[in-house]
Amino acid sequence: MNLFVALQIGLSEIAAHKFRSFLSMLGIVLGVSSLISTLALTTGIERGTRAFMQQVGGLEYVSVVNKEISNQMFDFWNLSPGRTLRDAQAISASAPLISHVSPELAFGAAISSGIKSDRRQIRGVFPDHFVIARHELAAGRFLTELDVERGLRSVVVGDAISRLLWPDLKPVAVVGKTLLINDRPFEVVGVLPKYEREEDKRRRTIAGPGKPSRMGQKWDPFRQKNESILIPYSTMFFDFRAGAFPMDSMESIRLDALILRVGELAHFRAALDQVRAALSATHRGVDDFDLETREEWFDRMEASIRATRLSGGLIATISLVVGGIGIMNIMLASISERVREIGIRLAVGARGRDIFIQIIIESISIAFIGGLLGVVAAFGLIEILKLIAPNENAPIMTLGGIVFSVGFAVLAGFFSGIYPALRASRLNPIAALRYE
Amino acid sequence: MPLVHLEGVSKFYRVGDQEIRALDSVDLQIEEGEFVSIVGPSGSGKSTLMHLLGCLDAPTSGRMQICGNDLSSASQNRLADVRNREIGFVFQSFNLLAKLDVVQNIELPLVYSGLPSAERRRRAEQVARDVGLGDRMANRPIQLSGGQCQRVAIGRALVNNPRIIFADEPTGNLDSVTGKMILDMFRDLNASGKTIVLVTHDSDIAAVSRRVIEIHDGKIRREYRP
Repeated sequence: MNLFVALQIGLSEIAAHKFRSFLSMLGIVLGVSSLISTLALTTGIERGTRAFMQQVGGLEYVSVVNKEISNQMFDFWNLSPGRTLRDAQAISASAPLISHVSPELAFGAAISSGIKSDRRQIRGVFPDHFVIARHELAAGRFLTELDVERGLRSVVVGDAISRLLWPDLKPVAVVGKTLLINDRPFEVVGVLPKYEREEDKRRRTIAGPGKPSRMGQKWDPFRQKNESILIPYSTMFFDFRAGAFPMDSMESIRLDALILRVGELAHFRAALDQVRAALSATHRGVDDFDLETREEWFDRMEASIRATRLSGGLIATISLVVGGIGIMNIMLASISERVREIGIRLAVGARGRDIFIQIIIESISIAFIGGLLGVVAAFGLIEILKLIAPNENAPIMTLGGIVFSVGFAVLAGFFSGIYPALRASRLNPIAALRYE
Repeated sequence: MPLVHLEGVSKFYRVGDQEIRALDSVDLQIEEGEFVSIVGPSGSGKSTLMHLLGCLDAPTSGRMQICGNDLSSASQNRLADVRNREIGFVFQSFNLLAKLDVVQNIELPLVYSGLPSAERRRRAEQVARDVGLGDRMANRPIQLSGGQCQRVAIGRALVNNPRIIFADEPTGNLDSVTGKMILDMFRDLNASGKTIVLVTHDSDIAAVSRRVIEIHDGKIRREYRP
C-alpha cells in the first residue's frame, strides 16, 4: 500500500468523524498557536533589543576609561599623562584593527539661540565620533576634518537641543542658524534625528502626536545622544579649555572621554590588544586605564532573550505533548471501534505494516491539520497580544517559526500514533474478524 | 503438484492449562479446478481448517503447502502476501466495509497489491459488472440487499484473480432463493476453472460440490462424492 492511499483513507476517516477529529486536534491547535506566538514574541523582543544595541553603538563600541591606580604603582602615577590626544594619535597610528577613534573634551556652557537659552554640556569631538556613536542626520552634515583642522565654529546639535532652542523650526530650517555658546557664535551645520527605542516610538504613535509622553520620567538610553551639542575638538580646546589650564597644550590636555570603534568583530580581542599596547607606550607603562566594552552588557541582554524563549517554548512544548496524548487517546478509541475493519483488511491481504502505516498516517494527518488550524489561531492570538500590550515590542511571526511549530506538531502526531498503530498492526486476523 | 497439500497438519490452542486440539494431524490434497465442500458440526474444526487453508493462520505442526508456497511455519507477512495474491474469501456475514461503496469494497485487495489507482478502479468496475452489480457501483452496503452484498463480497474475492476461493457458510445469512443464486455463481466460477472450497454445516449445500470432506473432532472422518 502506498502512502497516498494511506493518506486518502486517513483523511476520509477524519472527515467521517469531524467533531471527534476536531476534539482530538484541539490540544495540537492550542500547542501550535502558543508555540508560534511565543516564538513571535521573542523574535519581536530580540529585534527590538538588537536595534537598540545597534543604536547605542553596537558591540564595536569601545571606550577607554580611567582606572584607579594600584597601591604598588602609586609612586609612578605622575609619570603617566593620563588620557590625551596623543593616545588617540597613537591608536590611529599603531592599532590598524581600530577603524575609528575620537577623543572628547567636555565643557558646561551657556547656550542661546536668541529666542531661548539654557546651560548645557558641550562636547568637542573628532569626525569619527559620528561613526562610532552611529549617528544619523535629520538635516545638514556631520563635522568634518576641515572643521577640526581649522578650528571652525561649527556645531551639530541633537534633536532635543534643536527643539529646545528653536521649538517652531524643522531640522532643515535649524541648519544655518547661529547658536551662541558662552556668547561665541557657532553655525549649526547639522541636526541629528530623534533617537528612541522601538517601544517608545510605538507608544508615541498610539498616544497620538498631541499628548505629552511620560518618557521623561523613564530611563532613556538615548538621552545623551538626543541632547548632543558637538563641536570640533580643536575649537573646543582653543575657545573654551585652553585658558583654564595655561600649562596644557592641545596634545597634553586630559581628555574627558576617548571612544573607539573596532573595525571587524572577528578580530575584537586582537584589536583590544593593539589598543592596550599603544596606550601602554603613551602612558609610560602605568596601568591607569581600562577598556570598557559592551560584551557583558549585551551578553546579559542575549541571555535574557534566551531565557524568555526557553521558558515560553517549554510551556508551548508541554501543551503540544499534551495535544499528542489527546491524539493517542482518540486513535486508541478509534482502533477498538475498527477492529473488524482491520480484520477485513488483513483478510484481503493487508500486512501488519500496511495497517501500521494507515494508522500512523491518520495520526499525523490529525496533527498536521491541527497544526494548520493552530497557525490560523496564532494570527488571532498575536492580534490579541498586541491589543493587550501595545507598548511592548510587537510580536514578529516568521516563516521559520511557523514551519518549526507545525513540524513539531507533526512529530507529536507521529510519536503518539506509534503505540495505537503497533496495537492495530498486531491484531490477529481471525480474532479481529470475529470481533463484534 | 496439488494446489493444497496438507501432511499431518495439527493446530492446538491453549485455553488456560487445557490444550484444545482443533485439528489433529490432517492429510488433505486439493487439485486445481476442484469444487470441495468441508462439512461438520460446529466445533468440529472445520473453521480452523479453513483458516489454515486460507492462510489466516499457520499450523502448530505438520507440512502445509498452498499454491506452491510452503507455509508450514510462515510469518504473518508471508501469509498476508499469499492471501492477497492466491486466495479470495467470502464470509457468512459478508464483511464489507460500510464506509466504502461497491467499487471501493471490490477494489480493497488491489490496494494492498500495490496497483496504480486508475488500474484498480478499472478492474474493480469490470468485476462489479461481472457479478451483476453494474448499476449499483456507487451504492454503500447498507443500501444493498443481502444477496447483493454477497455478490460484492464475491467480486472482492475475485478481483485479484486468485486460484482458490474460500467461502465460509456463504448462504447462511440469505434466504433460500438468494442462497441458491449465490451457490450457482460458485458453480459457474468452478466451471470456468476456479478452485472453490466451501465450508458449511449443511449437507444439502455441500451437495452442489463434487467432493465432500467431513470433519469431526479435528479429524477427517470421511470423504465422498455426491
